[in-house]
Amino acid sequence: MSALAAKNVTVRLGVREVVHDASLALNPGELVALVGPNGAGKTTLMRALAGLIPADGAIALDGKPMQSLKARERARAIAYLPQGHVFHWPMSVASIVMLGRAPHADTFSGVTPDDRAAVVRALKITETEAFADRAVTTLSGGERARVALARALATQAGVLLADEPTAALDPRHQLTVMALLRQAAHAGGAVLAIMHDLTLAARFADRVAVMDRGAIVADAAPSEAMSHDRLAAVFGIESATVEIDNKRVPIAGRAL
Amino acid sequence: MERRGFPIALALAALIVALAILSLAVGPAGLSPRAALAGLFSGEGPAGIIVRDIRLPRTLLAALIGATLGLSGAALQGLLRNPLAEPALFGAPQAAAAAAALVIAFGFAPVTSFAVPVAAILGATLSIAALVAVAGRRASLTVTLLAGLALASFAGAATALILNLAPNPFIALEIAFWLLGSLEDRSRDHLVIAAPFMLASWIVLATQARAFRALTLGEDAAASLGVDVARTRMLVVVGVALGVGAAVAVAGAVGFVGLVAPHLVRRASGSDPARLVLPSALAGAALVLAADIAVRLGPSAVEIKLGVVTALIGVPIFLSMIFRERRLLEEGAS
Repeated sequence: MSALAAKNVTVRLGVREVVHDASLALNPGELVALVGPNGAGKTTLMRALAGLIPADGAIALDGKPMQSLKARERARAIAYLPQGHVFHWPMSVASIVMLGRAPHADTFSGVTPDDRAAVVRALKITETEAFADRAVTTLSGGERARVALARALATQAGVLLADEPTAALDPRHQLTVMALLRQAAHAGGAVLAIMHDLTLAARFADRVAVMDRGAIVADAAPSEAMSHDRLAAVFGIESATVEIDNKRVPIAGRAL
Repeated sequence: MERRGFPIALALAALIVALAILSLAVGPAGLSPRAALAGLFSGEGPAGIIVRDIRLPRTLLAALIGATLGLSGAALQGLLRNPLAEPALFGAPQAAAAAAALVIAFGFAPVTSFAVPVAAILGATLSIAALVAVAGRRASLTVTLLAGLALASFAGAATALILNLAPNPFIALEIAFWLLGSLEDRSRDHLVIAAPFMLASWIVLATQARAFRALTLGEDAAASLGVDVARTRMLVVVGVALGVGAAVAVAGAVGFVGLVAPHLVRRASGSDPARLVLPSALAGAALVLAADIAVRLGPSAVEIKLGVVTALIGVPIFLSMIFRERRLLEEGAS
């Protein structure tokens, strides 16, 4: 059974239909990349999948309809990493990551050993433990992105939805973040990541869903979903293919 | 690490007790703190009457109003995620004052009836609800401050209109002085009227502390962590309106406590908007107690109004904060 399954989902923002009849299933053990041009509706679809905005159609979490879940149940099951990595207050990195445990806390419970262990682990695997005590607002963009990811990982949810997790990262940390997402998936999680870097998507994702003007136009293995012709049709680019680690990976050539 | 907020809370509580004793001792009839305490506990003799009937209500009101304003500031800052949020900047006390002035000026109710705080609370609710609606989901600093400025100006104009149309000059003068904010001659009746609303506001706002912490990640991330952001917004509007409305109904407009109190304890609370809530309330109580002692110590024959003192302290702090946050403000404008 899929961890998170969306069937014929349509989302309207105001009068505009931003997502049209989209179906997408996320399975445990799988890292799925969601790619598409700016304005294709990727973020809106992800927010609907996270249960943050109302949507027509059916979204099921472990087979149960999303609407039947309490907010906290949903929060324990789905971790959502929005784009931009916003931190409004200069809180310490450790307390930011601890926020990922909020869905597990009861009104009167303090920090449990489980919470502490999850935070330590998240800090460690995102290589952010060195600045655990620093104010998050003093960090560089790339460091903030990793803290934001650590916060989402600390929830230890079965489903992780990450909106452009590699934006603002240098090449090395792009690779480490993608490896982390893949590791989270292969440890049994269902991971969906919105990506603009098609090369990274092809290298790391088990499956790629391509979105164009509100609809999912392809959902397949990376080389099939991001074929030369489809990239031309959806992104308006001519692409070349190179081989890395025995994988055929697209590289944007020139705008058509 | 989670409990770092407690030492500061303890220190502030001790400061409040010291200030409260001082507040019982200060006044036209000079009492030593020891005599004031003796009067408070025995209730006998002139000292007993002065302390129990005159100074105790005033002292308690100062502490309650200060705590309410400090808590309201911390809550609004937590909700809107910026350190310049404060009830007075958003027109809440001004709107409360306008509504209360309307009730008083046109004789719908005597000053000590429940109608005054109820009107003040309704006024504050309207203004804060309008602010949150106008500021919208992103609640950018510039939009929020401009909307607050507009609402404060509108409430000010409404009050001016009421003064303008007041049936007689004595009522107009009374309202004008009351608007400056003061705890002079406040009695047990005022305490009884305002305290329930303020306690309700504390309970409502304190329940949202964890939501404020999650909101540091923005509204979407907070919602994904299980926070019902719309409910939090609603409860903060209601909580601030209850507290500020009741405070204004009793003491008039006492501004800038909601700005200054959280600012003073932010660093000691690790900038955590949840851990900030209790110390902000305590710092607000200490501030208003201290200001209300200061107005009584002044050399002038006429007591300086409490609201004047808090504004004189608050505005320079506000300006210095804007100076330091300039970069943030300019980003917000883009």
